[in-house]
Amino acid sequence: MSAAPIYLAGPGRLPVLRPVGVAVIAVASVAVVAVVDPNEPGHYPTCPFLAVTGLFCPGCGSLRAVHALAHGDIGQAAGLNILTVLAILPLVVVWAAWLQRSWRGTQRTSVLPAPALWALLVAVCAFAVLRNLPIGAALAP
Amino acid sequence: MSDTGSNNPYDPPSDGGSGSTPPPPPPPPPPQWGSNPPGATGQPGQPGDSGGWTGGQLGGQQYGQQPGGQQYGQQPGGQQYGQPYGQPAGGPPPNYLVWSILTTLFCCLPLGVVSIVYAAQVNSKYAGGDVAGAQESSAKAKRFAIWSVVVGLVVAAIYIVGAVLLAVSSGSST
Repeated sequence: MSAAPIYLAGPGRLPVLRPVGVAVIAVASVAVVAVVDPNEPGHYPTCPFLAVTGLFCPGCGSLRAVHALAHGDIGQAAGLNILTVLAILPLVVVWAAWLQRSWRGTQRTSVLPAPALWALLVAVCAFAVLRNLPIGAALAP
Repeated sequence: MSDTGSNNPYDPPSDGGSGSTPPPPPPPPPPQWGSNPPGATGQPGQPGDSGGWTGGQLGGQQYGQQPGGQQYGQQPGGQQYGQPYGQPAGGPPPNYLVWSILTTLFCCLPLGVVSIVYAAQVNSKYAGGDVAGAQESSAKAKRFAIWSVVVGLVVAAIYIVGAVLLAVSSGSST
C-alpha cells in the first residue's frame, strides 16, 4: 500500500469527490426507500410504462426490492426483481474501483469482454419477456 | 520559498510547498480482464485523428510504449494540465454501462436497453482495435445516458405536478 502513489494534490484530489458524492446520493436514496414503504399504495407513482401498457419492464419491482434489501430480506427482494439483487454487488465493486482510480489519479485500463455485455443485453431482454409470460411467473414482481 | 526542488519549474502544484521530491511514476496497469488490442496504442496517428482523444498531450512519445509497459506513459508533469476526466489517453473509452444498468432497473425506460447496446459496441470495437468506432459508440452511449436522466426527471416532475394537482382538486371538492 505504501508503494502505491497517492496523489493528494493534483489530479486525484478533485475527482474523488465524484464517487463520494454518488455514494452520498445512493445512501440517501436507499434510506428514503427504506423508510417510505413502496408497498403502501400512494407513496410512489406507478411506473408510466406499467400504467400505459400493463406490462412489467425489467425494472418493475426494483423499488420494493430495494426496500426489502434495506430491511435485510434478500429472499423477498429476489422474488420482486432478481436483476436488482444481482446488480448490487457488481455496482458496489465498480464503484470501489472508481473510487480507487480517482483517489490515485489513474485511469481505467481494464475492459470487460464484449460478449459479457451482449450476454447482459440478452439476459435483460429475456427477463423482460419471461416475467410477462405465465411460464416466467416466478420472475414477475 | 524554502522548497529545495524549486529549480524544476515542472513540479506539479502541491499544497504546502513540499515539492522537493518529483512525483512518483504512475503505477503499472492492473491485470486486464479482456484483451487490450495492440491497435489501441500501437498505431501512430489513429487516436489523434479522431479528434481530442489524446487530451492535449505534448510530444509524440505517448504512442511509443513498450509492450507491457506503461499504458499512459506521458510525462509526469503532463498530468497537472488536467485531461478531461473520463477521456484517458491510452485507456478504453467509457461505455457508461453503469448508467445503462441504473436506467434499466430504476427508470423503467427502453432507453436503458438501447444504452446497453451502445455499451457493448464500445467494448466490441475497442477489443477489435477500432478505437475511433469505439469512441463514436461511447459518445452515443453518453448521449443516451443523458437523455435517460432527462426523460426520467421530466416524467418524475410530471408525476409530482399531477399528483399535487390531483390532491388539491380532490381535497377542494370534498
